Amino acid sequence: MAELSHPLLLFLVTAATLVAIGVYGFICGPEPLRRVVALNIISAGVFMLMVVLAYRSNGPGAAYFTADPVLHALVLTGLVVAVSATAFALALLARLGQATAPLPTEQETEQETEQETEQETGQ
Amino acid sequence: MIILLLVLPLLTALLMLLWPRIAPLLTLLSAAICSMLALQLLLQISEQGSRSWLLAGWPSGLAISWQADTLSCLLILLSALLQLLVGLYAFATRVRDKLKQGFWPLSSLLQLSLTALWLSRDLFNLYVCLELLALVAVALVSLSGRIAIKAALNYLLLSLFGSLCYLLGVVLLYGVYGVLDIAGLASQWQTSWLSNSALLLMSLGLMLKAALWPLHGWLPAAHAAAPAPVSALLSALVVKGPLFILSLLWLQLASTEQAQAMALLFAAAGLAALLFGGWSALRTPYAKKMVAYSTVAQLGYATLALGLMLKFNQPLIFAALWLFVLAHALAKAACFLAIGEMSATLGGKRLTILKGASQTMPLAMFAFAVAGGSLIGLPPSGGFLAKWALLQGIWLQGQSLFWPLALLLATLLSAAYVFRVVVLAFDRADPVAPDFSPQLLPQWLALLPALAVWAMALFSEPLLLLLRLEA
Amino acid sequence: MSAFWLSYLPLAIILSSLLPGLVIFTLKEHQAKLRISLNLIGVTVKLVLVLIMLRAVNAGAIFYFSVPFLPGADLVLQGDALSLLFVTLSSVLWLATTIYAIGYLENSPLRSRFFGYFSLCVSATVGLALSGNLVSFLLFYELLTLATFPLVVHRGTPQSLAAGRRYLSYTLAGGVLLLTGVALMHSLVQSPQFTPGGYISAVVAEHAGLLQLAFGLMIAGLGVKAALLPLHGWLPQAMVAPAPVSALLHAVAVVKAGAFGIIRLVYDVFGADSMQLLQLAEPLMLLAAATILYGSWRALAQQDIKRRLAYSTISQVSYITAGVAMLGPLAAVGGLVHLVHQGVMKITLFFCAGNYAETLGVHTIRQLNGAGRRMPLTSVAFTLGALGMIGIPPTAGFISKWYLGLGAVATGNKLMLLVFVFSGLLNAAYFLPIVYRLWFLPPAGSWPHEQRLSAKFETHWMLLLPVLFTALLIVLMGLFASTIISPLSWAELIVEREFRYD
Repeated sequence: MAELSHPLLLFLVTAATLVAIGVYGFICGPEPLRRVVALNIISAGVFMLMVVLAYRSNGPGAAYFTADPVLHALVLTGLVVAVSATAFALALLARLGQATAPLPTEQETEQETEQETEQETGQ
Repeated sequence: MIILLLVLPLLTALLMLLWPRIAPLLTLLSAAICSMLALQLLLQISEQGSRSWLLAGWPSGLAISWQADTLSCLLILLSALLQLLVGLYAFATRVRDKLKQGFWPLSSLLQLSLTALWLSRDLFNLYVCLELLALVAVALVSLSGRIAIKAALNYLLLSLFGSLCYLLGVVLLYGVYGVLDIAGLASQWQTSWLSNSALLLMSLGLMLKAALWPLHGWLPAAHAAAPAPVSALLSALVVKGPLFILSLLWLQLASTEQAQAMALLFAAAGLAALLFGGWSALRTPYAKKMVAYSTVAQLGYATLALGLMLKFNQPLIFAALWLFVLAHALAKAACFLAIGEMSATLGGKRLTILKGASQTMPLAMFAFAVAGGSLIGLPPSGGFLAKWALLQGIWLQGQSLFWPLALLLATLLSAAYVFRVVVLAFDRADPVAPDFSPQLLPQWLALLPALAVWAMALFSEPLLLLLRLEA
Repeated sequence: MSAFWLSYLPLAIILSSLLPGLVIFTLKEHQAKLRISLNLIGVTVKLVLVLIMLRAVNAGAIFYFSVPFLPGADLVLQGDALSLLFVTLSSVLWLATTIYAIGYLENSPLRSRFFGYFSLCVSATVGLALSGNLVSFLLFYELLTLATFPLVVHRGTPQSLAAGRRYLSYTLAGGVLLLTGVALMHSLVQSPQFTPGGYISAVVAEHAGLLQLAFGLMIAGLGVKAALLPLHGWLPQAMVAPAPVSALLHAVAVVKAGAFGIIRLVYDVFGADSMQLLQLAEPLMLLAAATILYGSWRALAQQDIKRRLAYSTISQVSYITAGVAMLGPLAAVGGLVHLVHQGVMKITLFFCAGNYAETLGVHTIRQLNGAGRRMPLTSVAFTLGALGMIGIPPTAGFISKWYLGLGAVATGNKLMLLVFVFSGLLNAAYFLPIVYRLWFLPPAGSWPHEQRLSAKFETHWMLLLPVLFTALLIVLMGLFASTIISPLSWAELIVEREFRYD
């Protein structure tokens, strides 16, 4: 295991912070949408960590900038999984909005419009 | 052959999108073929020993690595058979229960992801299978329409969170060791704070997905909201996937100190699951919720066995762990199908609709009671076999009285909730409409796995032998 | 018959009631003739098979039939002298109970279900009697619980459901204790076949504490069914079940299964020598003595006929345990023969109680005044049963109590002798007033709920015939105790083989 150099450490700390923010958001947020976003933040953190680790895995002495391709492949796979899972979660959220629609209170309708706009911007 | 086991469900799922009309037929056909293939594979593996594959000719480390040992073959066979059975049930009741067309491709995909999961032996590949499994499972739950959406969403979010925890653990491990396949990792495993935290993160994620106590909160709502065939598949198979990975991690990767440190925690969690799950099953007024809580409780047996296995390293306890899984899968499928059938025919979700069910729907009630017998662990059922193996393992290990007594208490609790239903069923039935004629075929289909779990006792010796060799 | 077929005989005896039972489940409610003939064919076949086996075992043969089950514990059916004692008892009484039940349940709903479980229950009992090792015993013991539960709750009334719940919670808890004990035994010495003299002597010195623990667990498990003192609570409550079921619980199947299990455990698993070494006999005997006195004492206070009979069962079944626990050959003969005699006497009493309830609507002892004139045959049978329970010659009860007393003297248990005498007095105190009321008090006007069930007889002939049959047996077993076909000589044969005394 090589020592970590400074720019990488910075990335590492950022990744950890992202994960921490995401976990906090996931645990605290009762709203489903907030949790979906929180999950996305966590996954961003994890992917970032993967990218950073890819640089480091080559070990000392090797050319510094040739990254480990396996981790890159994994990040790609992970991204695909994460995107599809998010899409699925949003679709379910939209359905949930429809399901609660017959008894619209003010708050709920607000939520619903919010969700819809969120979905559009997400795409 | 092994490729066919995976390609066939995938192909059927795709074909169904082209010809939705013959979807049920395709599902059943592929499940039947897969069952036969799985049986053949099991026979071959148990004769020649376990086999590994590296996909597409890549070198080890890069390639996706698969391994088929007797345990995975047994689980593949179990998944395929249950798929077939539940498919038949769904086909028989599809008109009455207004089952959505989406069930068929999703169930094929479920089989695909499960089969892949039982075969995979590298951490990232397991992650992909896990994620696929969770997405399919959530989609299946949401088939129930609007009543299930909330439970499905909750399930999905927690499951994604669990996956991310697991992935984080995998990444940490890769960062340290630079390999992903379990055999490779095990050969250079060291106890360090990194590997500790990676293991803990992965376990956290997996326990959340497997609904092990105390992370089981999402399960009762999700399993109770899903349509009956889906609940059967979820309880019988889906929660076992993460459990399988968990046991791989702790039994094959973790060092002795790590295992010892976690052993008691797992055992305690298992015990708590047995007691709290059993208690909740005893209290809930809804029929399907009761069965779902019983899943939480029964998973406690598996967790307990895992914990004791880590502590004592006794092959018999390992066998007990997987016997619990097999017996529970069959019994729980029967329970959910029987309860689903009864609540569809008698109309209603509460337990009280089962009043007098031994007269109105004797066959379905019998199926429930027989399956319940295995959940309790009455001889000569599969549940008994597992409990016997566990007790033997404990007695062989030492003189501690605590664990047998705990098991005894758990058994009584499960007996209490099973017989709560049975007693209700022997109550006098309310008069039924003159044209009351329950369908017979679905009831027989519910009875089939219940009988199978009792028939497990006939194969107890080879089963125990196979599983003990695996340890 | 060739040896090959003979080895299947134990299995055939179980199947002879199991198969008709399974077929009966599928029958429609109105197919009464078919159901009855299936039942009777099953009984007859079983009796013939038992007879064949009896002759062979008497000549010294032992039957084995085994199927692989758990590692180190096959599923073994074993036909030896002791198992045949119980098999014969339950098959003969099954015949009586079947006929009685057909008469008793005529025109009542859900008969297919009832007779189906009835047959299953007897199959489980016979399987339990024939089981050749602890694991097989455990299996049939649990199946018996499951098969009797639907019979206890058959009426579907709130009381019977409550009784069923109580019954289940007791017996399932007992089953789990037994399972734990059997598993412990298995881990110590595996589960070999029952052998006269026991099979644990090799490990007594090494694992004394664990063996005591296992014995305690298993006795607690068996004690639930045998209604030993703190575990008897389900039995009096379960008498809300229909009379044939009570007869089955008290005389043929459940209670006897517990007592039989204790006999097997003491003689064929632990063995007299090891029992003494481990100091287990004394506590068991004291427990039995306490139960005998407690049961008799509580019976005195009961006003309901069936409740009084239930407490009497608690007391009488413990005579068997006491006889076994004294560990002497004479006491063992007394205990074993009481297994048979108590069964026949108690079934007679329960049939009679059922007859009074069905024909006259009488449930309490006060209402019985003068019933002897209205129903003389039933009352004669009741009197015989009651005299037998007290132990008055020449009834069967006298024989077993005589041998128990002799056994107490021979093993030097003065205390037990006192217990037997005192309990005998209590028995007289709670049975004789009933007999007095039957014959010597005038009837109090009209009966609570009288039914004319037959033009010729005092009640339906199917209710009367089994009663007379078993009452006759009580006298015959007493009078002809010394002949070679009596239960007494069979018990002596068993004890001879168990104790190997010359």
